Amino acid sequence: MEGKTLTKADIVDSIYEKTDRNRAEVKNLVESLLDIMKSAIKKDHALLISGFGKLEAYDKKARKGRNPQTDETITLPPRKVVVFRLSRKFRAELNG
Amino acid sequence: MNKSELIKTLSEENNIAIEEATMMVNVFVDSMKDALAEGNRVEIRGFGSFKMKEYEGYTGRNPKTGEVVTVHPKHLPFFRAGKELKEFLNS
Repeated sequence: MEGKTLTKADIVDSIYEKTDRNRAEVKNLVESLLDIMKSAIKKDHALLISGFGKLEAYDKKARKGRNPQTDETITLPPRKVVVFRLSRKFRAELNG
Repeated sequence: MNKSELIKTLSEENNIAIEEATMMVNVFVDSMKDALAEGNRVEIRGFGSFKMKEYEGYTGRNPKTGEVVTVHPKHLPFFRAGKELKEFLNS
């Protein structure tokens, strides 16, 4: 259970095993999938994957911050952040 | 966008059959779910990472009724957006 990480390469391998395509093609398709996901989060502010969860972008207002090293006050610009909201189904599977 | 729209877009943009796009999205999502269910991390370069966080149980109160409830310990996945995704959203 300790220290294992699933990476993009692992996912490419799993898909590769189920197609007649070569690895490079599968890799490009996975990159395309990720680009579509990113655009959806930017454009629709949400990407809903049933049975898994929702990736939601929301706006954070500008706020005053401080550089802890110089004590200088700075204004942090408004920005978009992404949060993951777990689906009820997946939550139940994890904690059932 | 939801999952079926994601599948449709993947299929159209790459000229692949809807069945293949469906398989790809399912393998992608199921791999992440399985990894997290086993307590593993997920790291998708440029997109973001997921890891499981443990939450301790506590005794809480239903604010509406005042009833005391026991909240059981739980583990939930936590997402951190990757650098590329953050920059893309803010560009």
